[in-house]
Amino acid sequence: MERGLPVHITGAKTQIESLAAAGTAIKLVTEGPQPYAWVGSIAAPTPPWDRATYDILIPIPLAFDLGTGLDGFYVALPYSFNNGEHNRVNGQTLTLGGRQWRAVSWHYPDGKEFKPGTDTIESHIIHCRGFFLARGAVNARI
Amino acid sequence: MPEFNLRIRETDWVRLRKHCAPSFRGRKDTEIGAIGLLGKRAASGVLRELIVTQILWPEPGEVLAEPHSALTFTSRYLRRAHISMRKEGLAGLVTFHTHPLAGPEVGFSWYDDEQDPLLVENLQEIWPSTLLSSVVLGADSQQGRVWLTPAQQLPARRLVVIGEGLQYLQLDGGRASAAPAPSAIFDRATALTGNGALALLAGMTVAVIGASGTGSLVCELLARAGVRRILLIDHDIVKIVNLNRILHAGKEDAERRRHKVAVLKQRIEALGLGCEVIPVVGSILDNAVLQRLNEADLLFGCVDKDYPRMLLCKYAYQHNVPYIDVGAEIGGDQEGIVSTDARVNYVAPGRWCLRCTGLVTPRRLAFESLTGPERKRKIALGYSDDLLIKQPAVMDLNMRAASAGVMVLRHLLQPFLRAPLPVTLAENLVTYNMKPVAAARNRNETCDICQANALSGFGDCGGTIGLASDIAEALLDEDERSV
Repeated sequence: MERGLPVHITGAKTQIESLAAAGTAIKLVTEGPQPYAWVGSIAAPTPPWDRATYDILIPIPLAFDLGTGLDGFYVALPYSFNNGEHNRVNGQTLTLGGRQWRAVSWHYPDGKEFKPGTDTIESHIIHCRGFFLARGAVNARI
Repeated sequence: MPEFNLRIRETDWVRLRKHCAPSFRGRKDTEIGAIGLLGKRAASGVLRELIVTQILWPEPGEVLAEPHSALTFTSRYLRRAHISMRKEGLAGLVTFHTHPLAGPEVGFSWYDDEQDPLLVENLQEIWPSTLLSSVVLGADSQQGRVWLTPAQQLPARRLVVIGEGLQYLQLDGGRASAAPAPSAIFDRATALTGNGALALLAGMTVAVIGASGTGSLVCELLARAGVRRILLIDHDIVKIVNLNRILHAGKEDAERRRHKVAVLKQRIEALGLGCEVIPVVGSILDNAVLQRLNEADLLFGCVDKDYPRMLLCKYAYQHNVPYIDVGAEIGGDQEGIVSTDARVNYVAPGRWCLRCTGLVTPRRLAFESLTGPERKRKIALGYSDDLLIKQPAVMDLNMRAASAGVMVLRHLLQPFLRAPLPVTLAENLVTYNMKPVAAARNRNETCDICQANALSGFGDCGGTIGLASDIAEALLDEDERSV
């Protein structure tokens, strides 16, 4: 076994490679042993957002192949929403790949959680994209 | 000369016996046979067991058999099996065939002795690492061996049949020998566990994963049940906060920062029951530690986390090894305590894994398999409070779970509980209710762990299961890393 290689994210790697091959701006990156999917070019309406696309980071649990869910994501800093901050971009920050990222409190509703085997990294990206669109904007406290 | 065991799923064994049954009926005296593929289990580099991964049932014309003459597996059948073995990266082939006139005793014929070395020579010419096992079946007996080379064979000791129960069938071709009488220490247990089952317990190596509240109690009960070899795995040291729940651990152990496994080894061995405890300090997530399970015949999961539970499930199906998971849960609401569950789950081929039973949840598994820093950031976001609740450490409750688990082990060797065992057996003391859960809550007919595991029975040939040591370390909680 290659030292330092998480052995239970083979499925995540396959999904990321397949999405990348299909044209999605996505790659697998790591902070120590913790893997993330780095997804670029997530479209956002301007305004209220300050730019047309954002990069996000999705934490991949090391037991992904054994049937874990995915939940939440990080957004690349800096950003602005309605010339200020979005109240759901309220988590801790992390530095990865020379950039700063901040955790976004963006979860699945009760009873509609990520279902391993049915949901995928692609469907989770769609869920994350919702944050930048109308649903996320509605969720923002004015 | 070293001996090895052959391991087979109960469903395969029952079907094989049914397939061969006509051989023992009537007077046609025709041999019947089939070829299987083999996975393997090695401990410290020594072949310990071969696992029948799959039986390739013969297609018409693939077996040539005439009354009163020896059976021949055609080259087409052998080729098909050998190609499958190589394609899957497996260890070898096993041939089964009957000797129709053999009843309670059976042995290899001179023809078998002549043909097996030729066959293994041919197979190894094509693929040098091919192992060949051959098993000859009588009506009520079986004999087995493995050919490492055309000139070197090992005798087989037992055929371990695993499913709803655990059968240890002799592979020496003889009648089942009478079990030795138990020593006086154990003779009053024979009311529940007869001499045969006691002898099996004494011959087993049981791996206990987790040496805390439940694990320490399980060790004690196993030793008192007659188990003579326990492989005890835990990474942690005794702390003052553990003293209310770890059997045999004392203040001095905490002050001297002794490993839990070392403390239990000393105290369990001092009981004078002839039980040896082999302590393994490390996390079961660590592949180097998990590999030690190859020394075990049965697993007892006494952990309170989902990631180790899932790795143990993966291991159990890949190695065809029985796994008993025990635990305790206290449920409450605003009104107070609504349940105190002492729970036991039995995981084995043909049964549901802990993910399908609903014990392991995707959300908890995800949370536990984030590294420490990422988990901290997740906690800071909120929404994880329920995942931070520690499992109860109430010794009287843990004891009920440990007791139920060891009773299940006794049942597997000599059935006395209603069969089949429920998916989950939980005792809720609040309602005075023993609850057998018959249905797997999150059952998935295509589950890649239990129902459609492509590596089922592959053993070591299925690749590594655990994590690299540094990654396993990175997943430990901060308080667990204080060693």
